[in-house]
Amino acid sequence: MARARLGLGVVLLLAGCATAGAMAPSPAATPTREVLPNGVVLIVQEQRASEVVALQLWMRMGGRDEATDELGLAHYIEHMLFKGTPTRPPGSIDTLIEGFGGTSNAFTSYDTTHYDFVVPTAHLRAGVELLADLAVNASFPPEEIESEKKVVFEEMNLIEDDPEKFLLRRLYEVAYSPHPYGRPLLGRREFIEKLDRDQLRRFYRKHFVPKSMVLVVVGAAEPTLVRRLVEATFGRVEPAAPSRGATPPVPTFGPSRRVDVRRAEKQAYLGLAWQTAPLANEDVYAVDLLTSILGDSPSSRLNQTVRERLRLVATIEAGYGAFEKAGVVTVTARLEPADLDRAEAAILDVIRKVRAEGVTEAERQRALITAESSYAFDIETAEGLAKTYGQAETTWTLDNELAYLSRLRGITAAQIQAVARKYFGDDNYARVRFVPGTSSR
Amino acid sequence: MTRLVFAVLAAGLLAAPAVAQESRERLDNGFTVLVRENPVAPVVAVSLLVKMGTRWEEPANAGISNFVHAVMVRGTAKRTGAELAESIAALGGKLNAKGEVDYSEISATALSRFWREVLGFTAELALEPKLAAGEVDGERDWLLGRIQKRRDNAPARAFDEFFAALYGPHPYAIPALGTPASLARIDHPALVAWYRRFYQPERMTLAVSGQISPGEVLAEARRLFGGLPRGAVVGEPSRPAPANRGERRTFEQPAQQAQILAGGLAPSLDHPDHAAVKVLSTVLGGGMAGRLFVELRDKRGLAYTAAAYYDPVVDPGALVLYLGTAPENATKAEEALLREVERVRRDPVGVDELNRAKGYLLGRYAMDRRTNERQAWYLAFYELEGVGPDYPERYRRAVEAVTPSDVLRVARQYLATLTTVVLRPR
Repeated sequence: MARARLGLGVVLLLAGCATAGAMAPSPAATPTREVLPNGVVLIVQEQRASEVVALQLWMRMGGRDEATDELGLAHYIEHMLFKGTPTRPPGSIDTLIEGFGGTSNAFTSYDTTHYDFVVPTAHLRAGVELLADLAVNASFPPEEIESEKKVVFEEMNLIEDDPEKFLLRRLYEVAYSPHPYGRPLLGRREFIEKLDRDQLRRFYRKHFVPKSMVLVVVGAAEPTLVRRLVEATFGRVEPAAPSRGATPPVPTFGPSRRVDVRRAEKQAYLGLAWQTAPLANEDVYAVDLLTSILGDSPSSRLNQTVRERLRLVATIEAGYGAFEKAGVVTVTARLEPADLDRAEAAILDVIRKVRAEGVTEAERQRALITAESSYAFDIETAEGLAKTYGQAETTWTLDNELAYLSRLRGITAAQIQAVARKYFGDDNYARVRFVPGTSSR
Repeated sequence: MTRLVFAVLAAGLLAAPAVAQESRERLDNGFTVLVRENPVAPVVAVSLLVKMGTRWEEPANAGISNFVHAVMVRGTAKRTGAELAESIAALGGKLNAKGEVDYSEISATALSRFWREVLGFTAELALEPKLAAGEVDGERDWLLGRIQKRRDNAPARAFDEFFAALYGPHPYAIPALGTPASLARIDHPALVAWYRRFYQPERMTLAVSGQISPGEVLAEARRLFGGLPRGAVVGEPSRPAPANRGERRTFEQPAQQAQILAGGLAPSLDHPDHAAVKVLSTVLGGGMAGRLFVELRDKRGLAYTAAAYYDPVVDPGALVLYLGTAPENATKAEEALLREVERVRRDPVGVDELNRAKGYLLGRYAMDRRTNERQAWYLAFYELEGVGPDYPERYRRAVEAVTPSDVLRVARQYLATLTTVVLRPR
């Protein structure tokens, strides 16, 4: 469901983070980036795949920008923006978008929040005007604030009922807490219950400033027309100082960060997390390839060893959450409770072997092809391409994104082994296990 | 699983790229090939659909179509499962096989420069699976784990219970995964026999979409599949008619959310009422401007998830209204849901609301058809369902022609008897 999704999708961020490079569908397929006088960044690319345009507003603001007495506000605002502006009554926004055959969506993550529309080209102007209206004129109707609380509580319940999502959320909490990357993005029930309109408006005014806004427009639209529309809307927002404060250093992972959770499911879940390279770090390329070799597909090492040969897990995968200020590699598995210890030992063995012996050239090649392919499938749709740009601009740089695949190609097997040795020890990981039993939630 | 995924399919045509070209060929042995050239991205997607699935199964062997496919991917005459996985990964690809309600599917994707290889692996898996006896127990365990996962998941369990209650003796009542009891009974010879019975050229449709040359792909498909001899004819199964008795079933299980499902039997994909019921479903639960979302979630905060599902299938489909909500809201939410059903059966829908629903329905469909994976699937699916290649266009016109009185009529007809399932947290 739209707007139900957490920002944790970002864990697989780098799977699709690659460049057009040599296999771009046409030579003209590169974005233009400009900074409007008030600080709004505009990224535009014409793509005639179908008669639609993706409009995405990426904010340089997310869960990590909340003060300790504001937890959950970024996500709550994500819900409230669609509730109306002075000229758009509650309900009219969804009706407008859906009536012309478009879709809307929004996501909150630790580093960013983004608001996405996909609209038929004929409705480009209406789409840009609507997005700009939400970005500066949200009216936060009091009765909507109240009724949305129940919705957010439901969203909390929904995540708890999904063991895979909840495992990842708990793993981030256990690994990072009290660092902002360990916070629950939805906030806590007690706080949301008391949330009032002033808090929301203060947070909105503070963070929704032009210098924090990145607008990405990809699709069947003339770039000059797009620029005109954006200048007449986003370009007229009053400049203000950017709001972002400093982020504290990330903690070290280790045996003190391990938690068992009793859950109603009959099967067990295991999640391990290692602290690795944040986005700005040069190791990001080698860590991405290593993660792919470890657990990105049925042919990966963890799958072939722990699932296929040892039959200790039903599913297993590795993911790389590359954030602006931290990087985390997670390994998650679904398994029988009796196999928990052996599976964990087997996972550590697989990693130990990479540290000792490195990876093969064939594995390196497969990981490169996987990255190339993942990018090629991302750019099938306008919104897929827009997302790679928005994500990169707000948490990294657009140039890094565009050069990503060629940088990846330059990484050697020895460099992959080196990051395995640098980041993955036998004991420097956080762990969450879901074990069957009476719920202790 | 299958049914929830299906729910996003409507039909219509809005943003389909003008650049796409489609070719279709029936080989002498009855095997059908469809190819769509799409220059947008350097990728290719393959969908091989086989008329084999839940519809031909009985309670005693429920899940056998899906089980066969789980064992198939464990290896072919030429390579082990691990080698197959490695070969596919080297193409930047994925390969999956599964049994569904009306069909089974082998699907594959890759970078388009490897189109020949990925087509080759698809054919190898379809025509030369090893189906080794030694793999059967391991795959059964894995499938039992998935069934358990489904039972532990409140929405999945609620949907399974709903279809069981709605369809009664009809095979759609049983999930495509089967049941622990049926899987225990299915042995290696049964799996091999089931595979041989259904994997016949005239039961198979191959669709390929991507940055490829249709002529080359057709020639390669002929070479790979054209030599397959015709098989014995498999008759349509005699299926007991579904029996919606308007039951209300309640269950309890550990969960945070309560699940409420209510609905009735609905027309099949090629039925004249299909478009009108699709619009009805969208008025009630399509998107964030659908009535359930607006009335129950936005205005009253009585549910988090509030949607309607109506899947295209060969036999009678199901129109399902679905709510996921906090346990303390469950009773009120169910009452409110029933009031919405009453309202849509009593008052004609307004013109603005109707237009919003049509716009949403056709827009979503156009959006859904943009990736090559979805395109390949749609091409093969419409062929397999026998509705013809012009179906999307006919369907779009049918949706646009739906009037408020059509919606009222189908609401009265198809929502007259409601089967209800309520799953409450324990």
